[in-house]
Amino acid sequence: MDQIVQKTAAEAAWLEAGGGLSWLEAERAKAVESFGRTGLPNRRLEDWKWTDLKRLIDGAYPALAGSEAGAAAVDALMASAPFGDLAATRLVFVNGRFDAARSRIADEADVEIVPLAAAERPGWVKVTGTEEDPIDALNLAHLSDGAAIRVPAGTAAEGAIELCFIAAPGAAATLTTRNVVVVEEGAALSLIETHLGNDVAHAANSVTEVRVGKGARLDRVKLQRDDASSVHLANLVAGLGAGSTLHDFTLTMGARVVRQQGFVRFEGEGATARIAGAYLLAGRQHADTRLLVDHAVPGCTSRELFKCVMDENARGIFQGKVVVRPDAQKTDGKQSSHGLLLSPTAEFDAKPELEIFADDVVCGHGATSGEIDEDQMFYLRARGIPEPQARSLLVAAFVGEAIAAVEDEALRDCLSDMAARWLAGERRAAA
Amino acid sequence: MSEENKMLEIKNLHARVEDEHREILRGVNLTVKAGEVHAIMGPNGSGKSTLSYVLTGRDGYEVSEGSVTYKGEDLLEMEPDERAAKGIFLAFQYPVEIPGVATMQFLKVALNAQRKARGEAELTTPDFMRLVRERAGKLGVAQEMLKRPVNVGFSGGEKKRAEILQMAVLEPALCILDETDSGLDIDALKVVADGVNALRSPDRAMIVITHYQRLLNYIVPDVVHVLSKGRIVRSGDKSLALELEEQGYAAYAEEAA
Repeated sequence: MDQIVQKTAAEAAWLEAGGGLSWLEAERAKAVESFGRTGLPNRRLEDWKWTDLKRLIDGAYPALAGSEAGAAAVDALMASAPFGDLAATRLVFVNGRFDAARSRIADEADVEIVPLAAAERPGWVKVTGTEEDPIDALNLAHLSDGAAIRVPAGTAAEGAIELCFIAAPGAAATLTTRNVVVVEEGAALSLIETHLGNDVAHAANSVTEVRVGKGARLDRVKLQRDDASSVHLANLVAGLGAGSTLHDFTLTMGARVVRQQGFVRFEGEGATARIAGAYLLAGRQHADTRLLVDHAVPGCTSRELFKCVMDENARGIFQGKVVVRPDAQKTDGKQSSHGLLLSPTAEFDAKPELEIFADDVVCGHGATSGEIDEDQMFYLRARGIPEPQARSLLVAAFVGEAIAAVEDEALRDCLSDMAARWLAGERRAAA
Repeated sequence: MSEENKMLEIKNLHARVEDEHREILRGVNLTVKAGEVHAIMGPNGSGKSTLSYVLTGRDGYEVSEGSVTYKGEDLLEMEPDERAAKGIFLAFQYPVEIPGVATMQFLKVALNAQRKARGEAELTTPDFMRLVRERAGKLGVAQEMLKRPVNVGFSGGEKKRAEILQMAVLEPALCILDETDSGLDIDALKVVADGVNALRSPDRAMIVITHYQRLLNYIVPDVVHVLSKGRIVRSGDKSLALELEEQGYAAYAEEAA
């Protein structure tokens, strides 16, 4: 492991910052020790070759979770939250802390919801952690709050649960949250994560750990629209039980630097994971998604589909790795990632990887990158559709294929609408 | 006929593919009046498709000489979508697939964009649906097909039928049909031809581009032109098409050389 010779300002600030949750003191100590050894990853590490955090995070971000946010700014951000009243339950976290007054919790006796920072917690609230991962280490070191949700066996949560993370103006801050989601055997949950920020250069660190039990189902939709000058680091860690289903969709529109990682592990046979995502990037935005799908047991199905749109000087990256362990026969894994470049200076990099140790499997991957198809463009214009409208129609259709992975129609419409507004020029991209 | 009902006037049109030296159109002259159907026949490589693309404004073609006047205006100055809004329609030889855009949505966006450009009110959804259903019914286009993405997974016949449906909905003044017969069996050809014939009217003109005479049995032209090596080398009535069918294009290739 690399030794830090000279710490960057961000590394030094993060190591010295306080934070963390008292009931996770042992995990925190271990995380601080780990981060002290590794520091921020740099491009010499294969998994980080396109996203050199050491260079990209050049400012110091003290851990200031809970710093005072102006009520008006928070209200304005809440008003811009696109999913409105779609979710029956909405937990709001302002600058990393649970805001009970802005939250609403539907009366569903069976579903348990506990803030992670609560003094008293039921026994099922546990964190697992990801070894040697700098995002996870920073998360445990600075963690201020988050949601713990449990849907008991056999219960289908009636309405969706939305977790709203608001970054409101204040000093530059590191906002560190973690969610623990347990969907027990035969249960079902629709989870929405909304990350919104404006006029504040912050570093968000968001980890969501999910356990989907036998025959259970989790649908998760994440919208990331942090301020265009901020940094967004996120992990999804999922363990899938036998016959369970995970449908995950992420729309990435915000932040200057985005690194989001998905660690999906099949732990029981016959489970299915569909991981989809879309990028709408402009300015100098840089977004890197890394997925690791681990077929540890036989007979599971994984599908990954990412549709990434980059305009101006934006850069999109997709790194998807599918591992099929020796015993994982009858694995069915397919991943595809597609970049659409709207300007000559935009860039898309894709690295699909397959590591297959079993012999009776169906696995495939595809990655493409290109500009708007001139034949399609001419066809639309020859039918009377002016150029900007034709372009919007084609880009909307492109990301629409990923948005189509969201099964809930109302959610899907909200996401399509957001894409349409982005295409119509409503952007808050980095200068 | 008087000057007023001249719909399209092509004078000494020279064009080439951008960045290529060789001219593909080498002095085309053609006048089309409202109500007329002109057939342009010619061997492969004679410039038929280039002519259709130059008339509809596709990028990548350079006009080096000559003029095209459409309803008294300089056509070559207009963007492709302006031309469409002013009534020019190209039925593509190879209709383009557009994944993610439903045929119905596409038709509505196109029709309303044209109406907007002409200063007309946009059609409401129910009015639009009624119009499309009626036109689709006549062409035997199933409702299910309208829900599918534009041309995606359509058979050759379905694609051509969808082109004619678009034409019927958009009601252009000048229809250019580029090899509409290619890839069609005789039954599909009849359906498509019936659709085209239903649109013939005194205020509408058509240019039917084809390699084979077969289509002209069903869409009977007023004038037939032979395009060879970038020029119209002969014009005549419908009997010219039959003559070409018997004798082939060999004679014209030499004549134009």
